[in-house]
Amino acid sequence: MTIGDRVPRGDGPEKVTGQAKYTADITMTGMLHARFLYAERPRARIIGIDTAAAKALPGVFAVITQDDMLDVRYGFFVKDRTVFATDEVRFEAEVVAAVAALTPEIAAEAVRLIEVDYEDLEPILDVEDALRDDVDLVHAGFASYEQMAGVDRDRNDCAHMTSVKGDVDAGFAEADVVVSARYRSDMSHAAPIEPHAVIAEWQGERVTIWSTSQVPFPARSQVARTLGIPESNVRIIVPHLGGGFGGKCDVHFETHIAALAKVTRRPVKLVFTRREEFLATDKPRHAAIIDLETGVRNDGTITARRAKIILDGGAYSGDSHFASEISIMMLQGPYRIPNLSAEVHTVYTNRTPSGSVRAPGAPQTVWAVEQHTEEIAAQLGMDPIDFRRKNLVEDGDTGQTGQRFDNPNAAACLERALEMAGYGQELPEGEAFGVSCGWWFSLPVASGAYVKLNADGSGTIVTGAQENGSGSVMGMPALAAEELGMAPEQFSIVYQDTSAGPFDLGSAGSQTTMNNGRAVIDAARQVRDELLQLAAHTLEAAVDDLELVDGAVRVRGAPTVAVTIGELAAQAHGGELLLGKGSGQPLPMPEHDASECVGRLFYPAFAHPSFFCHVGRIRVDQDTGVVQVLDWSAAFDFGTILNPIGAEGQVEGGTVQGIGFGLLEGSIYKDGHQQNASLLEYKLQTAIDAPPIKIAFVGGPAPAGPHGARAIGEPPVVGPPAALANGIAAATGARVRHLPMTPERVWESMQATGVN
Amino acid sequence: MAARQYFAPNSVDEALQVIGRHGRIGVVAGGTDAVVGHRSGKSPLADAIVGIHRLQDLNGIKVANDGGLCIGALTSYASLLSSNEVLERYTALADASAIVGSCATRNVGTLGGNIVNASPAMDTGAPLLVFDAVTELRSQARTRQLPIAELWTGPGQSVVADDELLVSVTLPSLPPQSGSAYLRLEYRRAMEIAVVGVAVQITLGADGVVAAASIALAAVGPTCFLVDAAGNAIVGRSLDESSTAEAAAAAADAARPISDNRASENYRRQMVSVVTGRAIQVAAARAAGRTVNIPASQRWREATQ
Repeated sequence: MTIGDRVPRGDGPEKVTGQAKYTADITMTGMLHARFLYAERPRARIIGIDTAAAKALPGVFAVITQDDMLDVRYGFFVKDRTVFATDEVRFEAEVVAAVAALTPEIAAEAVRLIEVDYEDLEPILDVEDALRDDVDLVHAGFASYEQMAGVDRDRNDCAHMTSVKGDVDAGFAEADVVVSARYRSDMSHAAPIEPHAVIAEWQGERVTIWSTSQVPFPARSQVARTLGIPESNVRIIVPHLGGGFGGKCDVHFETHIAALAKVTRRPVKLVFTRREEFLATDKPRHAAIIDLETGVRNDGTITARRAKIILDGGAYSGDSHFASEISIMMLQGPYRIPNLSAEVHTVYTNRTPSGSVRAPGAPQTVWAVEQHTEEIAAQLGMDPIDFRRKNLVEDGDTGQTGQRFDNPNAAACLERALEMAGYGQELPEGEAFGVSCGWWFSLPVASGAYVKLNADGSGTIVTGAQENGSGSVMGMPALAAEELGMAPEQFSIVYQDTSAGPFDLGSAGSQTTMNNGRAVIDAARQVRDELLQLAAHTLEAAVDDLELVDGAVRVRGAPTVAVTIGELAAQAHGGELLLGKGSGQPLPMPEHDASECVGRLFYPAFAHPSFFCHVGRIRVDQDTGVVQVLDWSAAFDFGTILNPIGAEGQVEGGTVQGIGFGLLEGSIYKDGHQQNASLLEYKLQTAIDAPPIKIAFVGGPAPAGPHGARAIGEPPVVGPPAALANGIAAATGARVRHLPMTPERVWESMQATGVN
Repeated sequence: MAARQYFAPNSVDEALQVIGRHGRIGVVAGGTDAVVGHRSGKSPLADAIVGIHRLQDLNGIKVANDGGLCIGALTSYASLLSSNEVLERYTALADASAIVGSCATRNVGTLGGNIVNASPAMDTGAPLLVFDAVTELRSQARTRQLPIAELWTGPGQSVVADDELLVSVTLPSLPPQSGSAYLRLEYRRAMEIAVVGVAVQITLGADGVVAAASIALAAVGPTCFLVDAAGNAIVGRSLDESSTAEAAAAAADAARPISDNRASENYRRQMVSVVTGRAIQVAAARAAGRTVNIPASQRWREATQ
């Protein structure tokens, strides 16, 4: 039995001993180095670009601009972007030109020699202004852009969605108390330790691209579109990935480098600096303005909620629509709200385009909603935990588009986390507990894998899945081994290569185990059937009488009548090979009705929802506003835990990342320029800042996922900022309504509230 | 692209020759500021670089007959923290050395590097000021002694000439019943830069009254600097709430903070007062012979329990 065992990940030793090769480690004969010319202004019209001096510099092999590219726009939801800037630059790090040269230094010098004549334009930086009809369009040609069916957009609003349920006016009419508040959050970053890197090399009409991508298949399709070649001529290989956290979703610079490699007929390599990683990778977490208004009865019954979220999408829409829809799904959260009217606008501005950072749209929205939850309780004079106990969803309750909850573990997570934390105990002055509850989904999408047995009986899994560091692909051998009566270490994995494995959406949406796990199990079952057929012939027994145990097929009840998998595999290599493929239908979405909602795409309901609760014990320095996190407890209902080491690692990492989003991580903007684009001034949590974290997994196997597992990757990051906010309010009596809750903002809130 | 030159001399004389020959050469010891500065683009490496890590004469701490210390410029933070003299008598310098960067930074980063880098937010600057440290600068032509308070002229700027090398720092001896502390307002516990830093050195008289006091600030002006008015506010008085508050107010008055990504001018000024008050308390406790764990910034968090 391997399911549920604590299995160390297979790629761990090579990573911690420095043997693992990352994209930036690759060097090729004749390789050139790329550098980009960036706009360095938030908005301007391009009058002219002169590359002559740059091209003339010795050691420069190519300088290219949009003039060298096909006139094609790309984008996952809205095709609003060209590879290089066309006519107008829309954010400070928009790529205007690219250079390939013998050394990175020559390339940088050539970039300095490119002359661009700009007419600077007034940047659009305020999201509320951007929604007005009298404000300039970030994309004058927005109406002509192709888009995914179902996207609702107009002018600067590139993703408008609503969620409506019941009769919200009638609900407010029933309320005794109405509570409203506005919350703001700053843009924050995925900040993987490995910066973006790309190498491209052509042979004939085919290009191979080594890239730091989390989503090689979706990236491939956009590369093929922008280069005008079939997907079969584009091979994307991801060497070991040094973290992604969503910042390496979508397509980035693969096409730019492929284009340079094509014109120079040489391999070309790009490695980002940390500054570029902040400015140019265009996948930060959306800045947001969140307005909440809720009606409640004096007994604590919620009667209605109105909500409006404005997300700053930046200059291009990218994969923003995921964040739009997830944020709107967070507005009801795990609570029983009969009447809801919610809308989200995702707005073009002249800032770095935002995108899918781990749990896009969620931490900032839950941070607002869970503060609001406690503010409602305070207005009613109710204990915030009792208010939650009264309103958390129970069996048979319905979500915001009518999906029915089947024995949700929302309350169980709350009680377990409170118990672990010792909630309610007397604390020293300045200390407090902070609580947050929330929910998440599993994403059912297509995914494929092959399993093959080698002649010696060892196995190889060939999968399209992408390992971003979470360990999810590393968990596949255990799933295959379980089906075949083998050990996980008997399997090698071929992965992160679009020419090897079948399609997978990539390391996004916490979907790898849920979907690719199902595919690997299906493929292994096919091999199992083949093994049993072969063994039945060898052992002269009926298939139904055979079992696969400990690396051998044997007759049930007569374990000595057996043949090893090694013997069968050798036999198969003289005849029909042992090969399995897995794919099949993704699991269905739950029943729901989103017909009254506008603009909904992937998440009209949450499939296989899971619930969670975080309880943090914090201390606020009353004189300075510095928050110290002393202790943490978190409970999740992830269903079956396939590998506790991996699941706990996701919760620990997500919690610490969430604490960072809560306390320190935020981009400081001035006039359309990021001011703190470095790890010195954009402060991540360090190891010594991390509190002890107690973790509980509650509830039994989920009905749907592989062996009853639910999605794990993103949910741990969602709740910590909210728990911190409620802890700060409990410790100081002051609400901090601006994320991140830096010491100065905490101090200012205390001053404004007159706490000191 | 200019070719880079790199020198790794084996003796101080050889190093001074190399430095004297080149107009503007980059002197690299631990390299912890040089690499970060270059990568960020703020201070690109010079075309010629001299690595002085082999100059073992500049590495180490000597105790003078009067109890003062002579610290070689190449002495690492980790070495400072392994010196009983530093830990017990020049405790503010230990407080500062214990919180610079990370373990790795403290193992390779040097006191001399920190001084010559001249960051207004440097952690060892305020402690060296309250100890009246004297630097020794050498060139081929001369050797000169310069009080640390006269060394820095602005952010990243000092009077160290192009042909000069900082070789050592001397800390004069301290009277009995002296205690010191360096406290830093920090947002995280490692890899941090001071938002506000305050060093306090106090000598108590036989009657428990403050006989001498010195207070210096970091990260709230173009350089680290002494605030005489703050120290004077407690000299001749016993330390109570009112004298401490006067010193804290004098420090806040003298602060010339800017608004930057780490904090606003107003918040910094308010925090100078808070941190000064706390640093006085820790220094006074140490002067009175009570043990306060190093680094004091750490204890400050615990003190609020």
